Amino acid sequence: MCLSEMKENQKGLIQKINGDSRFVSRVVSMGLPPSSPFLVLQNDGRSPVLLYSHDTMIAINRKECMQIEVEMA
Amino acid sequence: MRTIALLGQPNSGKSTLFNALTGSHQHVGNWPGKTVERAEGFFTQGEELYRVVDLPGSYGLTANSAEEMVTRTYIERGYADLVCIIVDAAQLERSLYMLADFAGVKSPVMLVLNMMDVAEQQGKKIDIQKIENLLKIPVLGFIASDLNGYPKFFKTLERAIEKPAMISSSRIRKFVEENADAKNVSVIEKLESLIENLKLGIREKFWMVSKLLENDSLVCFEVRNAVGEKRWSEIQRILDEMGTDGGLLTGEAKYRFVSEILRDASSSCEKAMSLSRFDKIATHRIWGKFVAFFILVITLAVSMMIAVPIIASCFGLQSVAEPLVVKMCESFGWWPSVASFINSVIVGGLAVTVAMMGFVFAILVTFGLMEDTGYLARSSYVFDSWLSRLGLHGKAFMPLFSGLACTGGAVCGTRVLDTRGQRLFAMVLLWSIPCGAKVSVVLFLASVFFGSAAPLFGVIYVAMIFASFWLSSKLFGNKLMPVNERVGMIMELPPYHKPHWKILMKTVGRNVWAIFKKAIAVIWLVSLIFWLVSYSKDGNVEHSVLYTIGNAIEPFTQIFGMRWQLFISYIGGIFSKEASLGVMSVVFASTNDAFSLISRNEAGANLGEMMRAVVSLPEALAFIFASMFNVPCVLTMGTTYRETHSFKWLLAIAGYYFAISLGLAFVVYHVALWVL
Repeated sequence: MCLSEMKENQKGLIQKINGDSRFVSRVVSMGLPPSSPFLVLQNDGRSPVLLYSHDTMIAINRKECMQIEVEMA
Repeated sequence: MRTIALLGQPNSGKSTLFNALTGSHQHVGNWPGKTVERAEGFFTQGEELYRVVDLPGSYGLTANSAEEMVTRTYIERGYADLVCIIVDAAQLERSLYMLADFAGVKSPVMLVLNMMDVAEQQGKKIDIQKIENLLKIPVLGFIASDLNGYPKFFKTLERAIEKPAMISSSRIRKFVEENADAKNVSVIEKLESLIENLKLGIREKFWMVSKLLENDSLVCFEVRNAVGEKRWSEIQRILDEMGTDGGLLTGEAKYRFVSEILRDASSSCEKAMSLSRFDKIATHRIWGKFVAFFILVITLAVSMMIAVPIIASCFGLQSVAEPLVVKMCESFGWWPSVASFINSVIVGGLAVTVAMMGFVFAILVTFGLMEDTGYLARSSYVFDSWLSRLGLHGKAFMPLFSGLACTGGAVCGTRVLDTRGQRLFAMVLLWSIPCGAKVSVVLFLASVFFGSAAPLFGVIYVAMIFASFWLSSKLFGNKLMPVNERVGMIMELPPYHKPHWKILMKTVGRNVWAIFKKAIAVIWLVSLIFWLVSYSKDGNVEHSVLYTIGNAIEPFTQIFGMRWQLFISYIGGIFSKEASLGVMSVVFASTNDAFSLISRNEAGANLGEMMRAVVSLPEALAFIFASMFNVPCVLTMGTTYRETHSFKWLLAIAGYYFAISLGLAFVVYHVALWVL
């Protein structure tokens, strides 16, 4: 499943990041490489998704969330 | 002299450290040939003079934007004698990624764990000594905002210089091998052998391979030129086959490297994380916007309260000083023109500049506070969807909004943006956002000529501003913010911090002073030109150079529906919006005031009547529309020059708005002639 399908307060693990290498390097350097655990803080279905990982709160646009494959933890 | 490069992720406290180290010994300019701001400063410690280069903030060393390219090139060419990596101790795992990405560059390095106090508050325990033992480089636990802690910093610096230490990428290579399947391991070996003859400089071979795997544009370009087409096509085939897996593989390994360091050296109590109640509202799709508007309006109101007394006392002092200057010149037996020069150019220019610095100060404090506390990121989050349509980051909302208070001050506020392209573009947009003075001039004229239909002009004005945004994004957007460099919003919302008042006020004070120096130069220059062309011995406008010029080019300005009086007022509007009304008072209502382009004469009560008698409706329309997009004011020109560090850009933006305002006047005038 992709990141935007996760619900609030659910925990997950990053599996794979799709997209060009610019996008991948950005996501990785922001602290979300594969196998990172994260917690969804906010996902109201319209605004960018807010998640928490490696002590950091990160906001990701919904379109970009579709490119991030995750699994529930 | 030794050179220290500061390397760190955004929000790591890099600028705090830079400002505290260098104080007022700073120089900000542009990197040669790049649209990236270069900040360097100096300090002395013992006998030694140090140069500090504040590298543009970046999350890693992969070069995706102009800023990241500058940082990366500076690091990999080894321009610095020492690289000082700053990380946020409260977000250690993530911010140490920079260190992991750096490992493999054979440059002497020291590590500063900043914000140890915040980490402690969060219940994190960090064993600095253990990290130092593992990495074998000097490591310092630090609070950059605490000025008492700097002796410790200098001690660590001394250690780092006496015994240069580096970090190898061999551990990361090991983790890549452990993670990868047999095929990928052979890929790495293959790539290493393919770039065997490459001039590595201070970079380890595996560092180059990992950048190749990440499809880094700079390394790809370099390798391609160095190894020849045949080898490159083989490398490219391998990279294509890997796709983005290469970058994921190295990224994961770098984080494993970090967790290995931290495994024994840090511990934290697991706390259940959730959004704070305030954040729930501040990041809400609808309420968040209200909160942002509310906070902005409040802070702008407070800043007005700071600015207005400064402005009032400035103009008060000016009116006291002017008769004194006249008297002084009389007693020395100087020509009256000398008194006029001193009053209009020197005293007047100084008064305008100091007065407007009130706004600049207020806006810089406001924005500094928002950035310091972490709120700025929340407001960016809620407005990103609006601004991304223009190619801008959500952060641009705050400076654009404050343009309604003071364009010149807001231009300085664009500093919150990360890239110079974004800043330049925000400045272009800002010039079209009217400040209170501009709005009042436009509405005054509209009500003089169109009475109760004046509010309609407000509506049209707003629509035109958005149209100009669209035009600007078509003309400048792609050049300043290349589409292939834009990444949809992936941003960090930093935790809330208490503001560091002392450092904030010092930084703002220094900036205001630097802006003042640049602005006063531009303002005096423009005042001088305006004074020269508008000077006449008897104060009669018809004896000024400008009248002669205006009359001579009237056939040309008529094309835009502007007779000489209107054109001169339009030119006066470049100086300040109030000046444009003052000019009109003199040329239309023949008040007793001497004509001057830079006068702040009150618009006479009968100005409206006199104008209605002389100016036709099409002419009035042309002038109103020309005023909407006229150059904001001389202070804006001054601050734009100071913030872009480029005279070329100042002229380009000014020329752009001349073209828009005169073009609009032309269209409106001719349509009106035809219709009315």
